[in-house]
Amino acid sequence: MSLLEVRDLVKEFPLRGGIFNLTQNKVQAVSGVSFDVEAGQTHGLVGESGCGKSTVARTILRLHKATSGSVFLDGRDLLALSGRELREARADLQIIFQDPFASLNPRMTVRDIVGEPLIIHKRASGDELRTRVDELLDQVGLDTGFANRYPHQFSGGQRQRIGIARALALDPKLIVCDEPVSALDVSIQAQVINLLKDIQKERGLAFLFIAHDLAVVRHISDVVSVMYLGRIVETGPIHEIYDNAQHPYTQALLSAVPEPDPQTERTRKRLVLTGDVPDPIDPPSGCRFRTRCWKATELCANETPPLVDPGIGHAVACHYPEPLAVAVEVAARSGEVAVRDPFAMGS
Amino acid sequence: MNPRFDPDLLLMEVNGLTVEFDTPDGTVHAVTDVSYRLHRGETLAILGESGSGKSVSVQAIMGLVPSPPGRIAAGSVMFQGLDLVSASRTEVNKLLGSEIAMIFQDPLSSLNPVFPVGWQIGEALRVKDGLSRADARARAVDLMDRVHIPNARKRVRDYPHEFSGGMRQRAMIAMALAQDPKVLIADEPTTALDVTVQAQIMDLLDEIQRESKMGLILITHDLGVVASVADSVLVMYGGRIIERASADDFYAKPAHPYSQGLLASVPRLLSDMGRLQPIDGAPPSLIHLPPGCSFGPRCPHVAQECLTDRPHLVEVPTRPGLAACKRMGKF
Repeated sequence: MSLLEVRDLVKEFPLRGGIFNLTQNKVQAVSGVSFDVEAGQTHGLVGESGCGKSTVARTILRLHKATSGSVFLDGRDLLALSGRELREARADLQIIFQDPFASLNPRMTVRDIVGEPLIIHKRASGDELRTRVDELLDQVGLDTGFANRYPHQFSGGQRQRIGIARALALDPKLIVCDEPVSALDVSIQAQVINLLKDIQKERGLAFLFIAHDLAVVRHISDVVSVMYLGRIVETGPIHEIYDNAQHPYTQALLSAVPEPDPQTERTRKRLVLTGDVPDPIDPPSGCRFRTRCWKATELCANETPPLVDPGIGHAVACHYPEPLAVAVEVAARSGEVAVRDPFAMGS
Repeated sequence: MNPRFDPDLLLMEVNGLTVEFDTPDGTVHAVTDVSYRLHRGETLAILGESGSGKSVSVQAIMGLVPSPPGRIAAGSVMFQGLDLVSASRTEVNKLLGSEIAMIFQDPLSSLNPVFPVGWQIGEALRVKDGLSRADARARAVDLMDRVHIPNARKRVRDYPHEFSGGMRQRAMIAMALAQDPKVLIADEPTTALDVTVQAQIMDLLDEIQRESKMGLILITHDLGVVASVADSVLVMYGGRIIERASADDFYAKPAHPYSQGLLASVPRLLSDMGRLQPIDGAPPSLIHLPPGCSFGPRCPHVAQECLTDRPHLVEVPTRPGLAACKRMGKF
C-alpha cells in the first residue's frame, strides 16, 4: 500500500449564468486522475497552466470538493471523512503555497504563524510551544531571534521558509508543495530546493510536488506525472520520463525548455507545438492532445488511450507511443509541427 | 557566430547610464553607470534577478522612468546621432515606437481592453504615418499574418480578452513591428507564458530578426532563454553590470563569482546536477549598497579589498569579455 493513493479523481467546476443562475456548463478541470505517492518519496506533477495540476492538489486537501473519486492516505479515504476525523487526518497532510507573500497572515508574528497548528491541534502550549517553534525555525534555517517579527520584514525566500516551518509543525507524512519555488529568484530557489530535500531525508517525508518548471521537477522528484487538460498522459520514474518520454506532448514539453548552455541549444532538435490548449469546457473527444498532435488518427478521436505500460518500463496514454528520435522524424514529415533543427537553419 | 549579427554596424550606444529614485527611505540607486553597445542584428541579453536594475535600465531608454520620483542622474543613450536622454521630448517621441519599440511581460495589461486588437496595432500607423482607417486596418492584418496569428482578417476585430496569452504577446509584437523599428526591446517577453508558448514566441522573434536584422535587447532572468537566443550577455547585480561577454564565453567560462554562482544554482533539464549550489544570503538593498563590491557580502571568494573598494569592469584574463571583480585569477 502506498502512502497516498489517488483513484479516478474527477473535479468539475459548474459555470452558472442566465436569469435563474442555473448550471450552464462545466469546466472539466480534472478528469479521472489516478496516481500513488510512496512514503519518503517525491512525486512531481507537471503540466502547463490549466492542465489541472493545482486542482488535483487542492482537491486532495479538500480545499475543493471532489466531483468523484477517492483519495487514500494511509488507507483512509480522505474524501469520505468529516468533522473531527477530517481535522485529525489533516495533521498528516500539509501544504506549501506558491506565493509566500499572500499565504502568510501579515498581522501575525512568525512565532504565532508557525505555532498556530500546534495550538489548534492541542499538541503543545506554554514553554513547550516556544521550544517547538524555535526548533522548527532552526530546522528551516531561520534565526530564532527573528521569531517576533512580521512576515513583511522577511525576503521572499525567508517567507517560504516560514511557510515550510508551519507545514512541518504537526510532523505530517505528506506535504503538498504547490509551485513552492516559482515566485523566487534563481539563486534563492536553489536554497529552498536544498532545504526541502534535506528535510525529506531527515524526516522521511513524502512530497507531492506541483510545478511547471521541468528542470526543478527533475531535480527534486523520484517519480513524475505529466498532465494535459485534466488527465495524466505519461507517468514513471524520473529517468524514464526525462530520458525516454514516449508521449508526443511530453516530448514537445521537454523540448520546449531551453537548457542554459548555448552549445546544447545549437545542436538540440526541438518540437515546437502550434496552436493553443483547447477549452476545458468542451475538451476534444478521445485523446485530448489529438488536436495538436501530428500523429492523430481517427482512433485517437474515437478512443481515449488508457494510461498503461506498452512494455517500455513506464505508463503512457497514447495509441502511438514512440521514442523521441522517431517522433522527430515523423513530425518533420507531417509538417504540422515545426521541428527546429539548428543545423538546417540558414540565415 | 550568428550570421545576422553585424558587429561593424553600431545601432545604439549607452554610456554611463545612472537612474535614481527618491523615496521616503532614501535614494534608490536602481541603475548605476551602465554602458553597452547594440549592433545591427545582435541579440543582447540583460540578465539579472529581481531588483538588479535590468528593467529600469531599458525603461530609461524608452523614457518610461516616472519623474518624480525617478530621474536619470547621468549618462547618455546615443541613437542615430541623437542623445535620447538630453534631447527634447518632441525629438525623442519621433523615434520611440517607430525606430525603437518595446514589448512587455504582461500583454494583457499592455493592451487596451476596450479597443479591438487590430485597431491598436494600426494606431501608430494612423497617428504617426497618417494612414486612413482602412489602410491601417489592412496593414494590421498583414502584421498579424507576419506574427502568425491565424485568421488575421477575422481576428483583427477581436478584443484582447478574446485572445490567449500567446496570441496577445503576438499582437504586442505586431504592434511593435508596425513601423519597422531598428531596435526592439523585449522586457521578460515570455515570463508570463507557458513553456511551449514561450518556445513559439522566441522562434517568432528569431524569425523576425532574421528578416529585419533589427537589434534586440532581451531583458530576462531565464538562463535557458538567454542560452538559446543571445549573442551577447550583460549580467546585472545591484544596479551595475558585473559581467559582459559573448553568450558562448559567458556560459563556457563565467568569470564573476555571481555569474558562476547563478549557473551552479540552476537545475538542468538534460542532466543530473547532484546537490544544487545556492548563493547564500540575499541581494543587497538598492538604498544601502555596500561601499565595495555589491556582491561581496554573498561572495565565496571575498577578500578585505572587496569590502572597501568598488571593482570596475576589467578584461577577463582567460577569455574575451569584461567582469567587475578584484579577485579574478586569484580563486
